[in-house]
Amino acid sequence: MVALLALPLAIGHSQNQAQQAVLHLRVRVKANDSAPLRGLARKRFFLIHGSLEQNRALIEAIEQQPLTTRDCYYQRNGASAALIGWLKDGDCESIYCREVDQEFVVGPKAVPEFAASFAASEKEFGNAATALKWMPTNVQPNLRDGFYRNRRDALDALLKQAQTTSGAPIQAVMTDRNGTAFFTDLGPGIYVLSNLVPAELGQTLATWNCEVQIKPDDLATEKPFLISNRKDRLVKCVAVEKPLPTCQ
Amino acid sequence: MKPVLLSVFICVCLWPAYGAVDYTKFSHSTPKHKAACNTCHKIPTKNWTKVSAFPDVVDFPDHDACVSCHRAQFFKGARPPICSVCHLKTSPKDDARYEFRKAASTLQFAIEFPHDRHQDVIALRRASASRPGFLLAHPPAPPQNFNNCTICHSQAALVSKPSAAGWIDSYVPPPATFKAAPVDHSSCFNCHWKSQEPIATNCNGCHKLAATPSVPPNVPTRISLKFQHEGGGEKKQHVAECTSCHINITKSATLRGLKPDVPITACTECHNKDGLRQDLNNELTALDKNRAFTCVYCHTSNIGSLDAPVSHFLIAQRPPRKRSDIK
Repeated sequence: MVALLALPLAIGHSQNQAQQAVLHLRVRVKANDSAPLRGLARKRFFLIHGSLEQNRALIEAIEQQPLTTRDCYYQRNGASAALIGWLKDGDCESIYCREVDQEFVVGPKAVPEFAASFAASEKEFGNAATALKWMPTNVQPNLRDGFYRNRRDALDALLKQAQTTSGAPIQAVMTDRNGTAFFTDLGPGIYVLSNLVPAELGQTLATWNCEVQIKPDDLATEKPFLISNRKDRLVKCVAVEKPLPTCQ
Repeated sequence: MKPVLLSVFICVCLWPAYGAVDYTKFSHSTPKHKAACNTCHKIPTKNWTKVSAFPDVVDFPDHDACVSCHRAQFFKGARPPICSVCHLKTSPKDDARYEFRKAASTLQFAIEFPHDRHQDVIALRRASASRPGFLLAHPPAPPQNFNNCTICHSQAALVSKPSAAGWIDSYVPPPATFKAAPVDHSSCFNCHWKSQEPIATNCNGCHKLAATPSVPPNVPTRISLKFQHEGGGEKKQHVAECTSCHINITKSATLRGLKPDVPITACTECHNKDGLRQDLNNELTALDKNRAFTCVYCHTSNIGSLDAPVSHFLIAQRPPRKRSDIK
């Protein structure tokens, strides 16, 4: 049954056969040697037309990009330990990542930045319910989503380069909570599968840059294209890992 | 000379009907109405504390937004037509206005909402209940209220109204069928009120003037109208992470023009499985016997009477066929 997982429900008879191949991606990682293998959730992956060789300049740019880790970014910007912990707990790049519950604005678990913003919001909006929901509107931008925006800027620059080099639109998907994602409506050919911006896995930064051959009949992919940060006979692409840079 | 005089007479008589502007209709497409939004709309409006739980645009612009150009129309006769744009009665003694926005009006703007950007920042905490190595389209029980797309697309609270032609096959979709979509600014302003662009005063950041006004459909377009998002038996097997079935959503910056993206295997993992259910096989078998058979398990007859897609045959390990090929 899994064999046909990627058959779109509504494919009509007239649909262009050349543009309907599917890449069923599965990302499984270990944060360290003793950690269990798990799906890498909520990470974006990109499919860039051309071979690794054709995209060499892009790969070099990916490998050489200066990166700040989430913790370093927030430390440098004066975030409280409680905020850094809240972000880490949800694997969040910004405060938009998950809803801020009441316990994080008042009481022993309160995050100072949230508490201050909640107080300002209460004054501004006149009621506690709106103040809680709209609390993010009073958080300083650099602590609100500055790290996400930094990453986004780096990503946008790489995407622009990738599009210029390959001369074709770049496909992007995000993995679900099991680390699964689907690239659909693909034409046959060679692509580079990349996450462009390294993912933080425990104490390392992991980057995937792999060549993928897409065939027209990849609709009925028997098995997902498995990538990981650990070698295995089923793994088609292993991440290049680098230790997390030290905070400066 | 007589025909000429007659023509002039007709033109003069019909001029008000054919040449005059209809001031009962307001259009944002009129060139002089394309100024900055806050030229007319105040954000928030003065009355927000009375009618809204949050600061919002909940009233029509004040008279000065119109009268600077339309003074002549404002004072034209006892019942100036222009008043009816906002007011229930065109009378100086009655200032009651329609509810903002007018429910019956067509939509002059399209919403531009980058789904991919929002997916990048909204929540998805790692669920502890996930089973390692789980490959199927459905998550394990118990069902969870996943905190990602549901921020905006919660369970629909209201039953949809039928279109003017009524419900197809008289099938009334129960409330569990559809997910809701935001209908006001509450899902936007909680992040975009100020400082996070597009902010509340930057209406054009999200509202783009459409080439032609549109009337929103009463019911979302759905190929499988009988699928219920909150369904799937007692265990609510349909309650899953949205992207388990909507496999294209995370790749799209805009949903406009997006093809239906739910693979048939999202359904057949349960609905066409040996020893479990054979819902697809049963209907394809019935179709084999009778080319006029209408598939009704998932579809209403407008869809169920069409040729079944190739994907349906392949997943059931049958050769694809068109109805015309069946004897």
